[in-house]
This record gives sequence, C-alpha cells and structure tokens, in this order.
Amino acid sequence: MASAAAGAVAGAAAPFWRAAGMTYITYSNICASLLRSCLKEPYKADAASREKVHFAISKWAQGKPEKPVIRSDTPEE
Amino acid sequence: MAPRGGRSVSTQVVRNRMKSVKNIQKITKAMKMVAASKLRSAQQRVENSRGLWQPFTALLGDTPRIDVKKNVIVAVTSDKGLCGSIHSASVNVSKALYKLISGSERETKYVILGEKGKVQMVSDSKDDIAMTITELQLQKTPINFTQISELADIILKNVEFDAIRIVFNKFRHVVIHWPTVATILSPEVVERESEAGGMLGDLDSYEIEGGETKSEVLQNLVEFQFACVLFKAMLENACSELGARMSAMDNSSRNAGKMLHRLTLTHNRTRQASITTELIEIISGASALTG
Repeated sequence: MASAAAGAVAGAAAPFWRAAGMTYITYSNICASLLRSCLKEPYKADAASREKVHFAISKWAQGKPEKPVIRSDTPEE
Repeated sequence: MAPRGGRSVSTQVVRNRMKSVKNIQKITKAMKMVAASKLRSAQQRVENSRGLWQPFTALLGDTPRIDVKKNVIVAVTSDKGLCGSIHSASVNVSKALYKLISGSERETKYVILGEKGKVQMVSDSKDDIAMTITELQLQKTPINFTQISELADIILKNVEFDAIRIVFNKFRHVVIHWPTVATILSPEVVERESEAGGMLGDLDSYEIEGGETKSEVLQNLVEFQFACVLFKAMLENACSELGARMSAMDNSSRNAGKMLHRLTLTHNRTRQASITTELIEIISGASALTG
C-alpha cells in the first residue's frame, strides 16, 4: 500500500499507532471517544448519540458485488 | 370523443381518480413541509462544519487540474429518492470526470455512497466500481464525524489512489445546487507538488514542530483532510437533497392541483351530459306515449 510505505520508510520511528496499522483518522477517533467518555451526565449521553455508526459496505470485484458487510452500532430490530 | 350512441365515461371512475390525486397532493405537501423543517437544521450543520475543512483548503489547496496515475472518484448520493435531479447530477458529473481524467496508464475507480447512485452506475460502469456503501442515513444515525471517518478509513485502506475526487452537490440556495468536485491528493503527491515549482509550492514555508518528519505530518494531514472533506461533502449533499426534495414536492403538489382542476371540469361535464341524456330519454319516451 502506498501509505504504509511512506510511514515506515520515513526515517524516524513511526508512532506506535501507525506501526500497528492504524491511520491517523482511527487514532484521533479513539482519542475523541475517550474524551467523550470523560464527560458527566447528561452531556455524556448527548455525546454518545453523536458517535453512532451504521452503514453497509460492499466491495466489488470485476463488476460483481460481494455480500455487503453491515457495520452498525445500533442493535438490529 | 365517445362513439356515437355510446355512453360517456362513468362519473365513478373520474371521482376515484380525483380522490387519489387529492391524496397525492396532500402527501407531497406534507413531504415538502418535512423537508423544509429539516433543511433549517441541516444548513446550520453545514455552517458549523466550516471550521473543520477550510483550514485544509488553505493549507493543502484544492487542485482539480492535477494529473496523476491512479484516481478514485467518490460519488456522494443517498438512498432516498423523490428529490429531483440531485443523484443524476452527481452520477453524470462522475462519469464525465472519468472520461476527462482517463487515458493511457491511468487507472480510475469509483466508490459510490448511496443506493441511488449505485443503481445508476451499475448500468454501464460496473467494472470500474471499487466499492459501494449503502444504508447511510437512517433515521437513527444522522451524519456524524465518527461515521464518516470510519468510511474514510475503509476507503483509504482498501483502494489505492494518487488522488481522490469527491463529487457532491454543493448547496447554494434552496433551488440552486451545484455539482462540485473536491480533490484530495495522496501524501506522496503532496510532497512531490510541494517541492519548488509544483502546485503547492508554499508548504515548505511552514515549520514543523515535534519529532515527526515532514512526510509523516503530511500523511496524517492528508488522511484527516480526506475525512473532513468527505464530512463536508456529505453534509452539503444532504442539504442539497432536502432543498431539491422541497422544490420537487412543491412542483408535484402544484401539478396535482392542476390535474385536480381538469378532472373536476371533466367530472362536471360528464355529470351534466348524463343528466341531459336521461332527460332526453324521459321526454322522448313521454312524447312517444302521448303522440
């Protein structure tokens, strides 16, 4: 992968999260959710509602979709 | 209109038609109200998100003219219809962009967000689709940065790119939506262009604090830039969609009203014609008896 090469060959040691395969986005999101869990109620519940994720992703190979993978925080009803 | 001697269309049929058209008019009016109320808060969110992506445009620029080997076109649509030409606009611009940036040694792939865009792309560009993402904006989970950044993460990890071009509808005004392209370059391309003479020549005038090298900083920045710009694109597209739905439903209610008017006239004519026919029958029957 293009970005993995740039991270490792930079010269200086890559930060631990980059070496573990995370992108900066994942790293900052984990930090953000840690910060959100430091809040007191009721702000904590408000912030938690801003963190919900739901989508279905399907990769395509040679013009055919594969089975979609659903990534969701809400329980299926 | 009717054959000679035949009865005209029964009023029952016309009345049924009128009832259903009236229901449609009520529904489209309600949809317009709902879209109008949601538009207000959506617009507020777009304004609030400006602080997130504008610094990136100031720092790393938006260079649609860049010429790179591997392009990924991210087309932003949604799963819901009844909103005018929003989705077709995104899809058509994506296809035009594809033609524009293709060439020898060029590889271009699509990532499609939203069911409506997927349906339109599948008909003729199946082989170039890298992945599709649907079920995005359910009632329970409105667009938030966490969701977008997970999407961005997946795209970054799964698709090789030198430049990503995000195609979305920018919200100018309730009735005006401009299809727009936002360009994001990969870290290597940014480094290449920020050397002297490239399109981003000013980057070296910034000092880098901390123990990271320039390419590491660039990589972090580019990843975050992608998430932020994707966030902006989705918010603006959502706004445009609501605005387009408002005007589409408004047109629809107005057309339903016109149709209702014409049907009422037909109904009255039919009713009067049948009354006249009955009268004629009665009178001619009566005159046949007396005469």
